[in-house]
Amino acid sequence: MQKIDDFSMELNFTEAYRKNINEHIAIREAICHQAQFPAVLSEIQDNDRLAGRTFWGWIGFSPHNAPGGAAYGYFCHEQKIIEAIERGNIPIEQRDGVHEMLHFWKKETSKAKVEAAFTEKMLPVLFRDEIVSLPYNFKPMIAQPIYRMAGVFVNYEKLLRLGIPGLKSEITTYRDNSKASGGDYQLYEGMLMALDVFIDSCHHYEKQAIEKANSCQDPKRAKELLQLANVLKNNAQSKPQSFYEALQLSWLYTLICGSLELGRVDVYLGDFYVNDIDNGIITEEEALSLMHSYWRLINELFRDVDGRVIIGGRGRRNEESADRFALLVLETMRTYGRAILPQTTLRFYEGMNPQLMEKSITLIGDGHTFPLLYNDDVLVPGVAAAHDVPLEDAEQYMPLGCGEIVIDHAGFGTPSGSLNVLKALDVTLRNGVDPISGKQLGLQTGHLKDFKTFDEFFDAFKKQLAFFIEILADHEELEYVESAKQAPYLYLSMLYDDCIARGKAIFDGGIKYLGGSLESFGSVNTADSLTAIKKMVFDQKLISAEQLIAALDNNFVGYEKEHKLLKESPKYGNDDNYADDIMVQLHDFMCNNMRDQRDRTNLDWYLNVLINNKQNTILGRWVGASADGRKAGREMANANTPAGGNDKKGITALLNSLVKPSHKIHAGTVQNMRFGRDFFNNDRPKFEFLLNTYFKKGGAQAMITVINRGDLENALVEPEKHHDLFVRIGGFSSRYIDLPRDVQLEILSRVTY
Amino acid sequence: MRKKAIVFDIQRASLHDGPGIRTTIFLKGCPLDCLWCHNPESLGKKRQLSFNIEKCTNCGDCAKVCENEVHSFINGKHLINYNACDFSGKCIDACNFNALKIIGSEMSVDELMLEIMSDLDYYATSGGGMTLSGGEPLSQFSFSMELLKQCKEMGIHTCVETSGFVSIKHFKEILGYLDMLLFDYKVTGASAHKKFTGVSNETILKNLDAAYLYGVPIILRCPVIPGINDSEIHFNAIAALDKKYPNLHSIEILPYHTMGNSKRISIGVEETLEHLKTVPPEITANWIELLRSMGCNKAKMG
Ligand code: SF4
Ligand code: SF4
Repeated sequence: MQKIDDFSMELNFTEAYRKNINEHIAIREAICHQAQFPAVLSEIQDNDRLAGRTFWGWIGFSPHNAPGGAAYGYFCHEQKIIEAIERGNIPIEQRDGVHEMLHFWKKETSKAKVEAAFTEKMLPVLFRDEIVSLPYNFKPMIAQPIYRMAGVFVNYEKLLRLGIPGLKSEITTYRDNSKASGGDYQLYEGMLMALDVFIDSCHHYEKQAIEKANSCQDPKRAKELLQLANVLKNNAQSKPQSFYEALQLSWLYTLICGSLELGRVDVYLGDFYVNDIDNGIITEEEALSLMHSYWRLINELFRDVDGRVIIGGRGRRNEESADRFALLVLETMRTYGRAILPQTTLRFYEGMNPQLMEKSITLIGDGHTFPLLYNDDVLVPGVAAAHDVPLEDAEQYMPLGCGEIVIDHAGFGTPSGSLNVLKALDVTLRNGVDPISGKQLGLQTGHLKDFKTFDEFFDAFKKQLAFFIEILADHEELEYVESAKQAPYLYLSMLYDDCIARGKAIFDGGIKYLGGSLESFGSVNTADSLTAIKKMVFDQKLISAEQLIAALDNNFVGYEKEHKLLKESPKYGNDDNYADDIMVQLHDFMCNNMRDQRDRTNLDWYLNVLINNKQNTILGRWVGASADGRKAGREMANANTPAGGNDKKGITALLNSLVKPSHKIHAGTVQNMRFGRDFFNNDRPKFEFLLNTYFKKGGAQAMITVINRGDLENALVEPEKHHDLFVRIGGFSSRYIDLPRDVQLEILSRVTY
Repeated sequence: MRKKAIVFDIQRASLHDGPGIRTTIFLKGCPLDCLWCHNPESLGKKRQLSFNIEKCTNCGDCAKVCENEVHSFINGKHLINYNACDFSGKCIDACNFNALKIIGSEMSVDELMLEIMSDLDYYATSGGGMTLSGGEPLSQFSFSMELLKQCKEMGIHTCVETSGFVSIKHFKEILGYLDMLLFDYKVTGASAHKKFTGVSNETILKNLDAAYLYGVPIILRCPVIPGINDSEIHFNAIAALDKKYPNLHSIEILPYHTMGNSKRISIGVEETLEHLKTVPPEITANWIELLRSMGCNKAKMG
């Protein structure tokens, strides 16, 4: 069921904002939180061991966790409100108010504020108010702004060490000092008010748990609920004393602060867990039961691209306890069963407790998509170089949602833009004109036929990319500037270094590092297209520039010969330097160009990310046929994974290609790889050798999946996209698509998931 | 080195052709003609035209470019005169539907070495290396010899997978460059061997003996084909070899799979084993049991 069309929360929230429109922004935000919480906290459900569910309003305040399509600062989900208006189910006394409220937020949402501040240069390039919710998305632009403050990793350690009262007393001291010295103490005042909202929310759930216990027939459940009520009561009045209290406090804080990440759980929960287990305060079974509830809440409340639970890695002060908790996390995954969340992430380094990796590989072999593997031996120095931070900060790197790397409670870097790299190539071939709209989207750098050499053409393409990158970097900076003007993001500011000490809000000079990232999509198709253009048009001259454009314009219909030549041109992912070199050149150019934006802006870093999410599919719909042989509208390859199973030479060749692009110049890539199930059973030692070698050779990350039924089924339908699937039959390994149909079906029938 | 051979496949990251992670090179051409061969396209020494009827649209483009009239269309059926093909490759380029391909490409030792060397790191950590397979790789003796030598010079672990049907002189010469042998044991009894594989097993057994005495670690690979060699006599013979050669590295049982059949059709060879079915795992497990009961404990599924 959809939310009933009662807008009292939204109306109250709007009223709170309006009444205080000229108040100090910290006070205004705190008052808005009062209107929002606990109003949007929904009920404890039957098997919840932890309290904390949200049903966000269509209007509210949150950095990231808010209704999809609206999640940024002061948000207003216009579409949902309009839908409600059209349904006609809004109580009569609210109707005028709802219309008026909708009108009011048009100029007041955080997104509107940024859009209103667009520079001359941004106006023709970045769209405004043309965003439609997924999966329809966007006019055919090359540069997309993204509105959200993603990748919140608050200082859970501090939260759990001080508890709410401790945090309050620390802030109170700062406030009093600031007041005494005539400083801007209102920020602290706002934080204190926000903490009171948090305390009210604890009591709200405490009361609810008691009520539920009283009306509960099952004595075991009633006891659980009373225990939960007690935990919530303690959270409100003291620092956490047990694992249960620590878990509850961290979960509720995550929800209320509007984060979608869980962070280094093994560090911040490890000591509590170990203490409780070793002193007999809690049993393993009980701990696991709480973890299951935690897992369920994450699965039900978070979106599939978020929810990072991070375990392992360098820079954990309590390594031994943390390892024990990490093992509990892996055990939770195993016993909970395959799930899309959380995105459990294993950071590892040479010398780490090997059990963590062993258990992780077993889980992957059993068909779990997680944990994602992150190699600290490459990434810690990589982050230090790319983000330009000292090693000790780099050790606290956190991959957020899709994989953008930020620094735990010290460095923010929301991806505020996406770049459709293949679309940029599309217009570069045509003097900057978009073949769909006929508009001049890019610079006028000439038509393909005008270029004498491939290098000249590549340079023109680089110019186009640089043009869009600059605008998107400026946009990232603008987003922070406007955010800072409008709100201090109180729940973040009180748990991000060094906001409290500096007396400044997170985006207003408080945070230690303020960076940014740009999601680039279609790099691999672009590199392969450049390779094909170089080879076919410039080197071998088998296809003329005009022929190529005609073939692309016609989606290869009537140009089968050209299509075949383009498809057969070398492709990234086969350890073939002809193709891989171009990928490296493109990667280097994009990463370095973005990294240089720090010199133009006030951002501490601005870095490229090559990640997995649905954008490769959605943005692909706006890109015509491309010179790598990809047909019009088809998806682009994910992250820097070879396009469409183009890695034909087997896993080692793929891995060799994957380690070629540098990891010292970007803020995260995802390396997808698929393995046959035999790798995890009889051949597990060989699999481990393979993986270790890849990581030693500089592999930064691995997202490993086991070849499953779906893969094989897809391969039957679109064999040309599945050259990379190897299966084992009758003592031999064969490429699945090369097998006769009957054998393919026989193999499929043996695969259970 | 100028030597060239027809290579019909290169498999990198291969896990099952010897220890560790390996690159397996498949050479074309085999003097045997085993009824059950799962790689019928590897038999001929020459390159070979292959046609995938499922992909063909009968567009006729191949016939237009072929100078040898290999392709013809009768009653909407695409007929191929495989023997007339001289591998010009013209029809392959002309076909927009990837229905045609030529199996096998000529490669030099140097070209192969380049590919083999790309995975050195993986061999080093896993104890893997290069496996030379086929076809019967030792039929192209001097090429194989050269490749093995070069691998040894680079410190790469070498395996050869062989039927053992090669002159004793050549075989002995190659032993010094081998770190391991994957040696086929197909059929028991000289006449039965000739009946099902086309050649007698006399030389083969002598070579096995020579290799064992030389001290090369040997994995005995035994394809088991229902109705042909799943007999007690054959299993007994395997067990006997195990006794005779107590230091065999291991014995792998490879159950028959139908996959070779449809491949035969695509290269214009009649289907030979229509009646044979892929062996279900329950039965293969019985084989291992049987071998165990005969005192052969090294046998495992390959
Ligand atoms: S060109 Fe290809 S598709 Fe056309 S008839 Fe020949 S084999 Fe068939
Ligand atoms: S490869 Fe050449 S000779 Fe053989 S069928 Fe094709 S065109 Fe004819």
